[in-house]
Amino acid sequence: MPAAQSRDLRLDFFRGLALIFIFIDHIPENILSYFTIQSVQFYDAAEVFIFISGYTAALVYGRILALQGPSYAVARILSRAWQLYVAHIFLFVIFIAEVSYTVITFNNPMYYDEMRVGDFLDEPHVAIGKALLLQFQPTFLDILPLYILLLVIFPVILLGLRLQPLFVLIPSFLLYCVVQIANLSVPAYPEGHVWYFNPLAWQFLFIAGAALGLDRVRGDPGLRFGSAALLLAAIVVAAGFLIKLSWTIHGVWDAFPGLFLKELWPVNKNNLSPVRLVAFFAMLAVVAALVRSDAAFLRLSAAQSLILCGQQSLEIFCLGILLSALGHFALSEYNSGIVIQFVVNLAGILAMCLTAKMIDWYKTMGRTDLSRTVAPKPLGGQS
Amino acid sequence: MSCGDSLHYWKELARPLAAVLTVGLILPMAAFGGAVACDVPDELMQIDEKLPHLAERLQVNEPVKIVAIGGASTTGLAAGSSDLAYPHRLQEILAGWYPSPPITVVNRGVPRQTAQQMLERFPTDVISEDPVLVIWETGTTDAVRGVGVDDFATTVQTGIDELKSHGIDIILVDMQFSHSTATIIDFEHYLNALHRLGDVNDINVFPRFEVMRYWSEQNVFNFDGVAKNERASLAAKVYECLAKKLAETIRIALR
Repeated sequence: MPAAQSRDLRLDFFRGLALIFIFIDHIPENILSYFTIQSVQFYDAAEVFIFISGYTAALVYGRILALQGPSYAVARILSRAWQLYVAHIFLFVIFIAEVSYTVITFNNPMYYDEMRVGDFLDEPHVAIGKALLLQFQPTFLDILPLYILLLVIFPVILLGLRLQPLFVLIPSFLLYCVVQIANLSVPAYPEGHVWYFNPLAWQFLFIAGAALGLDRVRGDPGLRFGSAALLLAAIVVAAGFLIKLSWTIHGVWDAFPGLFLKELWPVNKNNLSPVRLVAFFAMLAVVAALVRSDAAFLRLSAAQSLILCGQQSLEIFCLGILLSALGHFALSEYNSGIVIQFVVNLAGILAMCLTAKMIDWYKTMGRTDLSRTVAPKPLGGQS
Repeated sequence: MSCGDSLHYWKELARPLAAVLTVGLILPMAAFGGAVACDVPDELMQIDEKLPHLAERLQVNEPVKIVAIGGASTTGLAAGSSDLAYPHRLQEILAGWYPSPPITVVNRGVPRQTAQQMLERFPTDVISEDPVLVIWETGTTDAVRGVGVDDFATTVQTGIDELKSHGIDIILVDMQFSHSTATIIDFEHYLNALHRLGDVNDINVFPRFEVMRYWSEQNVFNFDGVAKNERASLAAKVYECLAKKLAETIRIALR
């Protein structure tokens, strides 16, 4: 499969961009968040991240499945899920440290009652167990549990998709519809809470991505749309752009009308509201048609940095979450003037790009190192 | 994910100006006056919506009942007594301004409740009191616990609809500002949701977060370095100021 072997840099590029957006959007009151996708579209970087993750998962593990068989493919998927799990627990521990510090040094009685949050400080024995079961998801630590769960069930999805895509896609879509109608959710800790990213709804986006990714493994050229469908998609994108932009401006400047604000707001993110899903798929169709995989801008050095971020997505995602918490802390603790905000954003993005570059270097060195030690050995079958 | 709130944005631009004004005007005033100054910039006291049912009740001179529903800051325990909580102080201030008819403010604060839990108390704690105005302070626990912000908005919308269907006027009150909590809790999306709810429903949202942030930045109230036994009296002063600002909000909305 030579065509499928060459990496589609668009995936890496947009995933890298999504990771940068997630970092920016997670710093509260950040001026730069006016310039991320969520301020002009109904969906945000989370949709991009989950869709591309599904797509690349099918691409990578679909190939392993074809070349090395199902047992090894399943083992590789589960080992990746384990990696994500460990990363999540690591982030969780850092988060606890931060909150504990704040609660200990807390001296404002007016908040004390409400701040007894520290659910885990009240009952750490329970909270730790719930965290290990992915049931306890403090703010911002909610997207990795979704990804982990999706990867754990991914072997079934992948084998099913290979057998007959519709066997998987139809139940997946039906489940999504049931969630929208019946408002199903997955319980979390503490009592009465639910998973922020409802896996029963978000699974559809991931599986849709996986189905398209697996097509690619089979050698299909990728998404193709008729001009009528493409025109419709373009209209949806343009309408979404105008409406969401009007809301963003309305938020800053009251006198500017927010179009359809009373009718459409709030657009539910937990359950991946159809408004978000349709807007995302429309943009996907437009981008797939407009941006070819050999587009010239992908070779620019700025794009290369984003591509590297996208390729090391797990590490860069975790780093981004830590950096936005740090940035939030710095801005509210010291100064949140515009200049400082830009400095914090810039420092964070630079740190993410440099780390991605370093990890890429480290992995490349590891590979060349290995081939050098293996190469001199006389291997009969190979010459 | 978020749509910025105008206050946050303009604050950035106004900050240098505010700093100059602070040094030039407020600090000398504070040095002379012994009383607590609860002043806030005009932009934080922009009251766009009316309170028609309350106005009518005052007009016909019939007893007025106001229900304050909210969390720990409504109960006011941090100040040491519910007499020092904002609802009681609000009642006294309003009674001074509107000597007749009698005005009562009922305190229905229960600490650490989400908007959903407060909504469930509406039939017993709010509607049964037959109030003409409800002051609903919410969002803190939702933000602290990370309740989905869209769910939060939907819940508050349900509450607003219910109150409106009973012909009750509403003032929403957003979260408290505290320097140390602001570093670990992301209030922004919940603040934006509350203010947008006010916007689409044509009701006033008292910007407590920005007001308290202003006081904190101007060092009007600062809990840092305050001895433990003086914290309660400081909290009482903050509640006093909040009651004053809320009373002004009501007075302006009645004009």
